Amino acid sequence: MAEFPKARDFFESSRAAVADHELRRKLESASARHLDHFAQVKAEFPAYDDERDAAYRIKTDAIAHLDELLIELTSKLEARGCKVFFAEDAAAARDYIVELAKARGAKNVVKGKSMTTEEIELNGALERAGIDAVETDLGEYIVQLRGERPSHIITPAIHLSKEDIGQLFTDKFGIEYTAEPEKLTAEARSRLRAIFLNADFGITGVNFAIAETGTLVIVENEGNGRLSSTMPETFVAVMGIEKVIPRLEDLSHFLEILARTATGQKLTTYTSFITGPRREGELDGPGEMHVVILDNGRSAMIADPVLREALNCIRCGACLNVCPIYRRIGGHAYRSVYPGPIGSIVSPSLFGGAAGYLPFASTLCGACKDICPVKIDIPRILLHLRWKQSSGERPLGWPRAIERARRGARRFAKMARHPRTVRALGELAAMVLKPFAHNGYLRRMPGPFANWTKYRDFPRPRPHKRPAPGPERPPG
Amino acid sequence: MAEIHKIIASVKDALGAGARRNSRAAAASAAVPVAQSAHRAALASTFARELEEVGGKFLGILTPAEVTGRIVTLAGEIGATTVAFGQGVVSDMDAIGEALERADFRIVRTIPVADTERAAMRERVANADLGIAEADFAIASTGTLAVVSTEDRPSSLTLLPPASLAIVQIDRVMANLAEVLAEMGPGGVAANRLTLITGPSRTADIEKRIVLGVHGPKSIHVIVVWPRDD
Repeated sequence: MAEFPKARDFFESSRAAVADHELRRKLESASARHLDHFAQVKAEFPAYDDERDAAYRIKTDAIAHLDELLIELTSKLEARGCKVFFAEDAAAARDYIVELAKARGAKNVVKGKSMTTEEIELNGALERAGIDAVETDLGEYIVQLRGERPSHIITPAIHLSKEDIGQLFTDKFGIEYTAEPEKLTAEARSRLRAIFLNADFGITGVNFAIAETGTLVIVENEGNGRLSSTMPETFVAVMGIEKVIPRLEDLSHFLEILARTATGQKLTTYTSFITGPRREGELDGPGEMHVVILDNGRSAMIADPVLREALNCIRCGACLNVCPIYRRIGGHAYRSVYPGPIGSIVSPSLFGGAAGYLPFASTLCGACKDICPVKIDIPRILLHLRWKQSSGERPLGWPRAIERARRGARRFAKMARHPRTVRALGELAAMVLKPFAHNGYLRRMPGPFANWTKYRDFPRPRPHKRPAPGPERPPG
Repeated sequence: MAEIHKIIASVKDALGAGARRNSRAAAASAAVPVAQSAHRAALASTFARELEEVGGKFLGILTPAEVTGRIVTLAGEIGATTVAFGQGVVSDMDAIGEALERADFRIVRTIPVADTERAAMRERVANADLGIAEADFAIASTGTLAVVSTEDRPSSLTLLPPASLAIVQIDRVMANLAEVLAEMGPGGVAANRLTLITGPSRTADIEKRIVLGVHGPKSIHVIVVWPRDD
């Protein structure tokens, strides 16, 4: 697994992201557009809240019976001719897929969009084995060409403008510069179509796995998921253990809400139901189908009754779009495959203690909880993770500034036991600072206090005996 | 298979450590109230509206005799030279094929293939300008087509050619997704690959602007068949 950066790196990358006004513009416009679409489709669909309740109930119940469901799913998949591999961690999943690709002599590997394969860092492993895997979702294709990671679960290239992408295509393909999305898309289509028709090994993620029938459901808009799962002779689907739902009849509740929250569509363009490899005489579908079922820290999440709820997540990405933190720093600053509010819960659980700073990257405003289609109480879980951190189960290495602030607070606590001294110091401060205040606030303070006034004004200390009628002013 | 037992055991342990599990039966998905609209024409018109909403083109509710003529006209309108199609669900595709040939279109008919013929057949479907498939069901509330692939009606027909045409019988237009899945049942869904298609292939990956035809068809046309002469 990749090494997780320290908290200091997160502070640095988020500071840089906040200063990037162009990134901010792109994020704001994309998020605003998404929220408009969502509001529209939700207003037209009165059953939304009922479907959401049903989805929450089914998912919560499915997680509570996950052991039974996984056994049922496995036996159904095997009965349909799939090979099932349970991977305890990312390395096991990677090794299985790389070995399989080598054994089949895979030359043209195509990938549909899959966060789980990002999680296990499959592309790097394939590359090290001398196998190039081509990302075929347009956004993923673009970030792969740039040698980057996706910055959003649903819209991987959200951090790039059409001009950035136009330049990228000119640099990589030597085509004439254009920033027209239609032309750029057509270019990608023709390049990827040629790759698809020669693909011998396909890899995709899975949105839902139906235990009752052994059916994998893949949801997408472009058709690359369909192509990746039908053209190659060998097909590998990678899923987390939490993707399983009990019955076919459960599925519509999720499909009715997933696209609405993810992209503001009623349903995505393509929903593929795959039950085993192709049948005799069929033109499409793989001759050989493998399903890799990944734990990688998920069963440990189940063991924590508060954290467990996070496994309801259907990866719609809506919580990113409403998050005031995400909207300012973007996905890359999180330094994790799963950014945003849900990422701040999932990343520490999947990638270990070094991502433990992420639960603190939240204002706890609750917008994520309100929009979540499967009703995950994200702020509550974030608080729970903070509590776990500070109660010392997994101590964090804090940056020095925060350590200093804590020392300062301890000193102040000691001093506060002597009210007279505090009052005297207060009177002194009130007198000294009075000439520097504007409208009752200090804009700048010297020395260590500058860290406060760098971001917000400080209310001027006032003499104790005359409680102030001072003008109301929001800090800022 | 050691891993499966290990992971399932670890899930089991984890569940034991957590809160008491609620009964699976009691928490079964409760029915979401669904408007019961039995009227076929009303469903077809809802379907038409939703299809157009997602960028599809509705060609009308036609009798089987009219369908053939309309398909030939469409092939001409989009400037097709080659048309690919497979076996229908209930429609007579032979008649459509003959009419297309009479109108001088080249046709590609998908039939069951042996492993050695697969690449060649795929190439022919991919090079067709229009792919025709009969859908098993349509979903009114979302403008969606439900297409089951079989050995003579492959998924490629609705995926590889740049334009797609689907026909669907009016009594197979359902109110919503839940109805279609209930109608097909677990056995029907698991028997073959099922694809739900809602409009043309699309992306919004470049500045959230919608572009059609990224990997699949750029245009999708639908005819609802109403055998009024019966």
